Amino acid sequence: MVQLFLESDRVAELVAHLMKQKSVFAPHAKGRKSFAFEEVKDPSAAVLDYPRVMHSIRKFFFPPQETLMTFDLKENTCSVAETPAADAIFFGVHSYDLGAVHRLDYNFSEGNPEKNYIARRQGAVFVGVSYKPDEFHFSGSVGIDPYDTAGFDIFLTKLLDGYIVEALTPVGEGLLDGIELPAHEAGKPARGHFQQHIYLPQAKLGQVMDGSYQNEVWDDTAKKCVGCGTCNLVCPTCYCFTVEDEVNVQVTGGSRDRRWDGCMLRDFSAVAGGEVFRETLAERQRHRVFRKFKYISDETGQPWCVGCGRCTACCTAGISIVNIINRLVGDYEKVAVTPI
Amino acid sequence: MADKPRVAIFDFTGCEGCELNQLNFEDQLLDILAHVDIVEWREAMDGHADEYDIAFVEGSLSTPDCIQRIHEVRRKAKVLVALGACAVQGGVNAVKNTHPIDEVREEVYGQDKYLFPTLPALPLSSVVKVDYNVRGCPMTQIEFLKVFTSLVMGKEPVEPEHSVCVECKLKENECVFERGMICLGPVIRAGCDAQCPSVGQYCTGCRGLVPEPNLEGMEEILVSHGLSVDEAWKRLELYNANEVEGVRS
Repeated sequence: MVQLFLESDRVAELVAHLMKQKSVFAPHAKGRKSFAFEEVKDPSAAVLDYPRVMHSIRKFFFPPQETLMTFDLKENTCSVAETPAADAIFFGVHSYDLGAVHRLDYNFSEGNPEKNYIARRQGAVFVGVSYKPDEFHFSGSVGIDPYDTAGFDIFLTKLLDGYIVEALTPVGEGLLDGIELPAHEAGKPARGHFQQHIYLPQAKLGQVMDGSYQNEVWDDTAKKCVGCGTCNLVCPTCYCFTVEDEVNVQVTGGSRDRRWDGCMLRDFSAVAGGEVFRETLAERQRHRVFRKFKYISDETGQPWCVGCGRCTACCTAGISIVNIINRLVGDYEKVAVTPI
Repeated sequence: MADKPRVAIFDFTGCEGCELNQLNFEDQLLDILAHVDIVEWREAMDGHADEYDIAFVEGSLSTPDCIQRIHEVRRKAKVLVALGACAVQGGVNAVKNTHPIDEVREEVYGQDKYLFPTLPALPLSSVVKVDYNVRGCPMTQIEFLKVFTSLVMGKEPVEPEHSVCVECKLKENECVFERGMICLGPVIRAGCDAQCPSVGQYCTGCRGLVPEPNLEGMEEILVSHGLSVDEAWKRLELYNANEVEGVRS
């Protein structure tokens, strides 16, 4: 693979070059200390050095809120909303967020394929960038390296004074046509170290989770948790949604809308008649963690958590999924070594 | 269309801001009037009606007279909708419930306190059956329209049970706590489209608590972000004193 070198002050030039070919979406500073993926208007506003974006790029394929169809009550007709293909370059994506997209690809195409997601996902090109793990990332523990290039068309590896640029697919090579970059010569970058680890080897994942249904950690966590649902909504592999019909005030028509939903929310597990399947926050917390480490993992053999650290970083109550998993592992090990 | 439903609007202990907010429906008022006849509304028109189908009621109940009047409204109305924080959960008025009632009377009326009988400020639902709620201070306009449209169509309005955080996340707002402020959003009901956090403010809790709130957990969150225990509970009490009282240890 040819390795090229991009000086830090030429990043905007590369973005501008890509913008000539397709729309480009990249991280932008937002608010006081956050970042969000937005369409690039000004190439110099794209940010490559960031800890994590508030919402992963899943929001482009599975939007937080969308209209599925509109209806006319007088004519008794409806029209299904269009879901155009992304057909864009996603620039500056971290490896765990692309790992999450790959997991969503599985969720939305297995069983009953979800045509809106699949349609939007078409034509998406990914330019990755390496990152320095902060106090919340733990992707290394779920098998996703900060330098993991799997699935990217182009990957940028951070060096002190710039980036190593590698085109990994023919699409990536094509995008780099017409921009002059020197070959990269000097060595590999220093490896970043994760500060957070879950001590759960993939081979033991199933056994540990099987024994975790009745663990005190769920009740302990529920004392701190207020059930706001933030951990679900910021999770790049969460894909639950709810659908509601809205009628306009003239009562002549309306729309069928869907929005992200989450299993930590009481109304998520409530059904017609008022029954709530997971009444307590302990049950809901357990369900959330099992969705990431057991149910889909039993099917696929891999954790459905990508270690981005969002659920922990965004939790105002300070609940850490890393601490939850490590407690389950610790309890499993104690039981496992105790002679019967 | 058959006979239009007759609507009456009443006010109890409150600032009348919710009613004013109904008059502010400049773009929708004519559409609203196309579906219903308003037969009584002290703030906006003359007249008095003896019969009506839907009653929208603003304000909390805070005098013996209020109790008598709300029973009367309930007897006549087929559907009763509580309008705004005072009517739904007691609202700011209920802060007085956290003080001894005699002290409150003396503070407000001085020597004349015996001329003004007063009760703890109560939500409508503690005295009569309330069918639906439109929450907020003042009442949330988008929610009013949803409840109104549902009633006109004969549908059951859906009351959100999830937190304001959900709406902030749907809009990808930067978390208020990240901005260095204190927010009650994690335990307050959504439905306002996270109106205040979306314009640089924080959630003060006007739409009431989510069902089965973990208030001890919320206390811990507020304290870990810099409030004293007392300040934390005072913040929670601002709009929700009736629910918070009794939980606080």
